[in-house]
Amino acid sequence: MLSIRKLTRSFAQAEGSLRVLDQLDFDMGMGSSVALLGESGSGKSTLLHLIAGLDTPDSGDIEILGQNLTGLNDSALADMRRTQVSLVFQQFHLIPTLNVADNIQFQAALCGRLDAAFETRLVGRLGLQSQLKKYPHQLSRGQQQRVAIARSLLHKPPLVLADEPTGNLDEQSSLEVMSLFSELVKNAGSSLLMVTHSREMAAFMDRSVLLHNGRLSEIDDVAKV
Amino acid sequence: MLQKYSFYWVAKALLSHYWRHPWQTLFLLVGLSAGVGLWSSVQIINRHAQTSYSQANTLLGAQANYWIRSRAQQGIAQQTYIDLRRAGFRQVYPVVETEVSTGQGDPISIIATDLFALPVELFENYGNDSAPGSPSDWLAFIQPPYRSWVPQQLAKELDLKAGGALLLRDGRKLPLALIQSRPGQGRQILMDIGAVFALTNEPRFSYLAVGTISPAKLRRLESFLGDDMELVENQQHLDLAQLTQSLHTHLTAMSLLSFAVGLFIVFNAVRFSLWYRRETILNLRLMGVGVPVLSAAILLETLLWSVIGTALGLLLGIQLAQFLLPGLSASLHSLFNASLSGIIELEIDSVIKAWLITLFGLAWALAWPLYQQLKTDVLPASSTGVAIDSERRARRILTLGAAILVLVAAFLYPRIDNATNGFILLGLLLFAAAWTLPLILAGSLRLIALFLPAHSLFGRWLLSDGWSQMPALRTAIMALLLAMTANLGVGTLIDSFRGAFIGWLEIRQSADIYIRGTNIDLQQLLNSEDSSDWLADSHLRIGVTSRWRDRPTLIRGADTRAPDSLSFPLAQWLGDSSADALALWRTQPGSILANEQTHYLAGLMLGENVQLETDDGLRDYRVVGFFYDYGNPYFQFYLPFDEVAKRWKYAYSRGLALWLKPPSNDVDNPMQRAEDEIRKSGAQAGDWIRQAEIRQLSVKIFDRTFAITSAMNGLTLIVAGIALLASLLAILQERLPQFALWRALGVRYDEQLLVMACPLFIFVSVAWLLAIPLGALLSWILIHKLNIVSFGWSMPMRWQMAPAWELGMLVIAVVIFTLLLTVIQLRRRLPEALARLGTLT
Repeated sequence: MLSIRKLTRSFAQAEGSLRVLDQLDFDMGMGSSVALLGESGSGKSTLLHLIAGLDTPDSGDIEILGQNLTGLNDSALADMRRTQVSLVFQQFHLIPTLNVADNIQFQAALCGRLDAAFETRLVGRLGLQSQLKKYPHQLSRGQQQRVAIARSLLHKPPLVLADEPTGNLDEQSSLEVMSLFSELVKNAGSSLLMVTHSREMAAFMDRSVLLHNGRLSEIDDVAKV
Repeated sequence: MLQKYSFYWVAKALLSHYWRHPWQTLFLLVGLSAGVGLWSSVQIINRHAQTSYSQANTLLGAQANYWIRSRAQQGIAQQTYIDLRRAGFRQVYPVVETEVSTGQGDPISIIATDLFALPVELFENYGNDSAPGSPSDWLAFIQPPYRSWVPQQLAKELDLKAGGALLLRDGRKLPLALIQSRPGQGRQILMDIGAVFALTNEPRFSYLAVGTISPAKLRRLESFLGDDMELVENQQHLDLAQLTQSLHTHLTAMSLLSFAVGLFIVFNAVRFSLWYRRETILNLRLMGVGVPVLSAAILLETLLWSVIGTALGLLLGIQLAQFLLPGLSASLHSLFNASLSGIIELEIDSVIKAWLITLFGLAWALAWPLYQQLKTDVLPASSTGVAIDSERRARRILTLGAAILVLVAAFLYPRIDNATNGFILLGLLLFAAAWTLPLILAGSLRLIALFLPAHSLFGRWLLSDGWSQMPALRTAIMALLLAMTANLGVGTLIDSFRGAFIGWLEIRQSADIYIRGTNIDLQQLLNSEDSSDWLADSHLRIGVTSRWRDRPTLIRGADTRAPDSLSFPLAQWLGDSSADALALWRTQPGSILANEQTHYLAGLMLGENVQLETDDGLRDYRVVGFFYDYGNPYFQFYLPFDEVAKRWKYAYSRGLALWLKPPSNDVDNPMQRAEDEIRKSGAQAGDWIRQAEIRQLSVKIFDRTFAITSAMNGLTLIVAGIALLASLLAILQERLPQFALWRALGVRYDEQLLVMACPLFIFVSVAWLLAIPLGALLSWILIHKLNIVSFGWSMPMRWQMAPAWELGMLVIAVVIFTLLLTVIQLRRRLPEALARLGTLT
């Protein structure tokens, strides 16, 4: 599903070049879920952006469903994102001028994969039925994140990339949302790569990896991290 | 001390914003300097013109309080002058004013005097610092072969270098040029009186000027003059100020509109600068900085911007004024015989006025957004919710304001009796329209939503984005609406005027040749034996200058049977038709034709008696018609030739018009033949002019008169374009995180551009559609109200859609250009925004 080989990304800084990712290798199977852990500034968000085609690596290859992102032009990357990948952010990033129903349908409409039955189920499971006509600023943070989750899953993307999706929520809400999220990702048949700082959240995933010194290593027991 | 220290840090925190956002700094400066520049350029020109009028006669003496003139306009004989000097009137000095044509046919004014005869105070002026520098130059100026003293601006226009000689139309040359300007000299070339006599072969003075003189001596001087001469008070500067007042009011109104459009950029820039600093302001308040300290820091910032904006605006204004002045100067000279000097001086009160208006503009732009910012709770609610409510409230307030403006305009409409009131009305209507625009834009989005298919998410997204762009684009679209309306309205005025003027010229200037020289024996020309071979008809006109209702007035005597008298273009008449009124004028003694100016500016009515001062005392004449008299700032009356000759014994020739026969076997080139005969009658080149040339000259003067208006119009549109660009770039900055999100969701650039561009095109199209009726209304008021109360000229309005289409295309081009710039910026800045997507709030 996702295959990364010898991925390198550096950033120019005042003190010189900082290599955030260094010859990184990673693989992920279809329908699996992986928690990506690491210290602040270790390069977790950078890795997610590179996988989503939002950033360009210095070297290395990223393949999603066998398609190498290297060399794809801007439009092709945008097409890949709208059909194969979904992003969920800590800050939800809903479109403030569209109502909840439109926000949920947005990406599915872009790639022409609107599934009314699945939408009803998704909305029902996330408890958003009574919120559909409202606008994002009229919702609580937890509700906004649920809308972002619904948007990311409605078109059943092969890969969901989440960057601390519950980082903006309180503990109780985080657990509820995460439980729902992982369940719905499985129902949608998607793979999930999630950046998190939280061991509790990582526990929802099939496996966990740690990003340190620009490389990934498997974590057998999250509790020990 | 602590307060001062905290103020320093607060001010530093707020001002640091501009270092981080140079684009906003740039747009704020562009808005301020463009607005102030356009406004101040006209202020500088107006001020400069008024100074020039007050110095109208200073070239040959501000102390020339009186003039001695020939009643018959035949000039003053040298002997009269000698007699006056011998009788002890040392305050009297001679002046010759004449006009010559350059090789290109442009008229040039020459003024000459005997410098040694000038009163002491004037001689010091001209003899010391302003006349040729060295003693040898000085002598060269007053001795053959003489020198001509050419003002710098005129020399530049004529491409005349110092030491060069200006070639005249008849092949002769003016004396070698000295390039020097003097306040009051305007576009006149100064020469010694001997040099002018040599040039004109006519040793008579135009008039004698009288310097400072005691009342007793003045009475003695008056009694000394013969019946054929008159002593008149020099009212030139008063007349010029009165005659040109409306023109300057028009220019001021245009400049205020430009300033308002510039202010829209400032308004946007200030709004965005506060929007960007909302976090800084909230953080400062969280840290305990009170609203008074914050307000004081922002006030300091406003003062700083006002000083910088004024300085830059004035620099721009001076450059613009220098660019616009030659055209205006030439127009004023053609229309009013007013001379403006080519040297612009910046007066301190212009600087203070510019600063005050800048400060006012900034305060006006800042007041509402600052109030909103400061009244926001320290821990605000959802910013989107606040923005939506605020936008709705702003729309309501603006619409209410617009309704009030319309009511005031309706109250004012019947009371328009001068240009100032008229422009206030126009200002009220324009701003009412601009303030209603947000409501109309909102309505248009709602209307489009009604026609969208229910399942079209893309359409809903597009419209919803329109709503979100509206607050940021609102002011720019308002500025664009104002600029487009003014462009269409003023364009239609100029077009209508041009059409009416050219049509009128064709009727009034129907003769083939016009002779205006004074040293021509016209009777000999008309009575020559074989004149019937080439001459079809002629019209000898006479006239006198007088004053009526305290304004310079021309009374003309016309041959009522001449071709141009038979087709006199009347605007209003007594009886059923203009032909009836003309017949009445020809046949009924005591009938008079008056120009429209007497009706509109002095309130004269059809059928009313007008009382004119004749040699036999006051006489009444009944007005039977008002004729069009475009371009004439004076009152003018037409009486039959014999009546004028009988009542005003010093009526003088106002020229002769000749209609030629078509080519025949006897005369194959009547024009050539006529010109040969005119030369034989003593005429020199420049004493006559062909129809085509006089029409060309008239149209040239017309176009030059409106050149400044067109320039201001174009510049205002450019400023509106900059306002649009500034808004789009500000939107880009404000919404960059949103655009990054769209990219993250897989939205392509072309889709993104479509979503950004569609609402913009909708808004611009709505503004354009609104500008068309508004422009028509503006031009209607300009033509049927303002032009009439200002100049007394009426004309039909010629509305055409072609300029509106052209303007639409131009605005679309500006929008595409600004969008392209925005997209380039977007592509440059999006990667950074994408990288920050996970960390932005």
